[in-house]
Amino acid sequence: MSEFHISPQEERENPDPYEGTGPVPWPMLALVALVFGFCIVYITRSDIETPSDWGDGRDSSELSGAKESGKVDGAALFASLCVACHQANGQGLPGVFPPLAGSEWVLGKDSTAAAILLHGMTGELIVKGATYNGVMPAFGSQLGDEQIAALLSYVRSQWGNSSSAVSVETVARAREAHKDRTAPFAGEKELPARD
Amino acid sequence: MASGAGGANVAATCIQPENALSTVAILLSAFVLSVTALLVFIWSQRSSMFDKSAKAAEVIFAPGEIGTREDPAAGTALGLGNAELVDRARADASTAPLVFFFFCCAFAWLLVASAAGLTASIRLHEPDWLAHQPWLTFGRIRTIHLNAVAYGWAPMAGLGIALFVIPRLLKTPLVGAPFAFLGAALWNAALIAGLGAIAVGLSDGLEWLEIPWQIDILFVIGGALVGVPLVLTLVHRRVEHLYVSVWYMGCALFWFPVLFLVANVPGLHRGVQQAAMNWWFGHNVLGLFYTPLALASVYYFLPKIIGRPVQSYNLSLLGFWGLAFFYGQVGGHHLIGGPVPGWLISLSIVQSMMMIIPVLAFTVNQHQTLKGHLDALRTSPTLRFIGFGGLMYTASSIQGSFEALRIVNAVAHFTHFTVAHAHLGLYGFVTMVFFGAIYFIVPRVSGREWPSPGLIAAHFWFAAIGITIYFVSLTIGGWLQGEAMLDGSRPFMDSVTLTAPYLKWRSVGGALMAVGHVIFVVHFVMLLVGRSAGRVQPALLRNF
Ligand code: HEC
Ligand code: HEM
Repeated sequence: MSEFHISPQEERENPDPYEGTGPVPWPMLALVALVFGFCIVYITRSDIETPSDWGDGRDSSELSGAKESGKVDGAALFASLCVACHQANGQGLPGVFPPLAGSEWVLGKDSTAAAILLHGMTGELIVKGATYNGVMPAFGSQLGDEQIAALLSYVRSQWGNSSSAVSVETVARAREAHKDRTAPFAGEKELPARD
Repeated sequence: MASGAGGANVAATCIQPENALSTVAILLSAFVLSVTALLVFIWSQRSSMFDKSAKAAEVIFAPGEIGTREDPAAGTALGLGNAELVDRARADASTAPLVFFFFCCAFAWLLVASAAGLTASIRLHEPDWLAHQPWLTFGRIRTIHLNAVAYGWAPMAGLGIALFVIPRLLKTPLVGAPFAFLGAALWNAALIAGLGAIAVGLSDGLEWLEIPWQIDILFVIGGALVGVPLVLTLVHRRVEHLYVSVWYMGCALFWFPVLFLVANVPGLHRGVQQAAMNWWFGHNVLGLFYTPLALASVYYFLPKIIGRPVQSYNLSLLGFWGLAFFYGQVGGHHLIGGPVPGWLISLSIVQSMMMIIPVLAFTVNQHQTLKGHLDALRTSPTLRFIGFGGLMYTASSIQGSFEALRIVNAVAHFTHFTVAHAHLGLYGFVTMVFFGAIYFIVPRVSGREWPSPGLIAAHFWFAAIGITIYFVSLTIGGWLQGEAMLDGSRPFMDSVTLTAPYLKWRSVGGALMAVGHVIFVVHFVMLLVGRSAGRVQPALLRNF
């Protein structure tokens, strides 16, 4: 065994501790039951279904909450939701994303444009003489009528476009008209630009 | 994920009603089953280990000692030739040089960390000060502070204490001390390299895991080497029953390497999963490494000094297994509001609330042990620090449980409120307990008394008042900051400028803490140069 000597510090100590056999006091048991109960209630009532991609999917206008003025900012929505594909100048990308500037879809019937935004579009589609075949996502579940109206009004007044503003009622009617739809429109053959 | 956001949302809406029911049901049943199983398990531990514990008590307490209360002030000597005393002296002799080495490293890192913390704090309200030095910018100096605390001061002090306490409780001299020497040397070399890397701007980019993974390899080897003697000693132990402190310390030494290894594997973690892993690690380092080391110290030193057994083995069991089970699942509460599955967040919140159980079990146990012996808090330096630390454990843990609730978190997250909470836990609790333990251990490993009770009292008051100012100012400032950020009608800059006075107060509190640390280290140096030579009376505090 190793060398040792007993120092005065070691000598004056109390013996090492051990555990007594005291029972768990009943308020402690009551507390266990209380916290356990609280947690069960908490789980049943908490909002567990929040889609896990939500944190990434919300745009700045949603995060900043309802504005006092009540006016939805179409430009901000466009900047956060559409520029990635249709570009800030509304020209799209040749062969991949169709332009919004001068597009017959944008300038045409407002209910058609609203329907595209509500449900999205896939399949063949001709814009300004060029054919596109891509996927336009649906925004109907993410955006309210008011937001879609503001977006379309914005798009219809930019980059040389000068069509009338789109009303909230138009969007609401389009939503009602296509309410049973679960898939995006299949290109031009399902939703022509003009009828 | 982003390009299909619209489609995914439609899908989510369509399947929601059915899905909602099943996710809640699954989570709920998993929760209820696991907690019930845990309680049954604890109960069974209690019945099966009882007879052993009664026998073991006699082993630990030499005959004739049971029930005597000894004030260390009185300096009561046990009869020589007493078996326990011999075991104790043997255990101490086997650990003394090693523990001394760990403490010297801890003192050095404490000073480095304090200087870095104070600099970071001042930078927040005096941004132009020293602004031309890249390594002194907030992002780096804060990170240096955090890492010097997290991998320097806290583990060096905590492991030093564990190395001292475990052989005593196992009545077995430490086996294989040279491994731990080598390990500690590697560990400190790694930390120097890591802090250097951070200072020049190299980082893994995850909070708590900033040190580049190449350097982490050294930590892993060093940490494993420190663990070797503890495992060997456990294997050679001469007692059957393990006292609570050994459970906590043994598990901390097992949990930490698992956490550290998993978290640092390069290229394994990505995206949302990486964030979830990051806070699984971040929270568990606190809860499953520093906390058990500090709790083990309280369990050892508090009853030791007042000379009474810990009152309830049952409460110890509830506290230990509760901590072991709940803590591992709470990390998600750092990601509330993030793009993380809802069930993961909800689970972490309820487990955070469940933490109230082990915390109060510990609190009640210590309170019952201390009852009627409060006067020792005044005279014993160790007990004063440990008593304060124990109270702060309760306070910071209960605060943490409620901070995890969504309504509180919505305000407190991303604010200085969190930083106040972090310091209440890691400083008010862990660091104060370590201070107390060091005051007890140093005279045993050096054979010298602390030279000046006045300096101990000064250290205590600087630290206690400092952390109080620190905590109160940042808590108020952080809450106001959070409310300002949530108020859409106020510009964001409001939430920044309003914190300025509170940040200045934090620097005041932090400066007091730093002064306390300097006093502590100077006092230690005085002890080393023999200012107390020839005295064998303990340094006891008088009235202040
Ligand atoms: C993921 C890329 C993407 C995003 C984001 C996107 N679109 Fe589209 N959009 C497309 C594609 C691709 C088409 C063509 C679809 C086809 O070929 O069937 C299209 C077609 C359209 C059309 C009809 C054709 C045209 O050029 O006039 C309109 C109108 C339109 N998008 C508006 C919007 C608006 C407004 C937004 C923002 C809310 C938006 N899009 C967001 C990819 C996108
Ligand atoms: C040894 C005792 C100390 C411990 C254990 C400690 C611990 C910590 C921890 C864990 C963090 C990270 C907080 C977070 O995650 O946000 C932190 C950050 C910080 N600490 Fe300390 N600290 C100590 C002493 C000090 C001192 C003396 C000061 C000086 C004022 C200080 C100032 C800071 C600052 C400014 C930050 C950065 C906070 C931020 O990001 O805003 N700390 N410390």
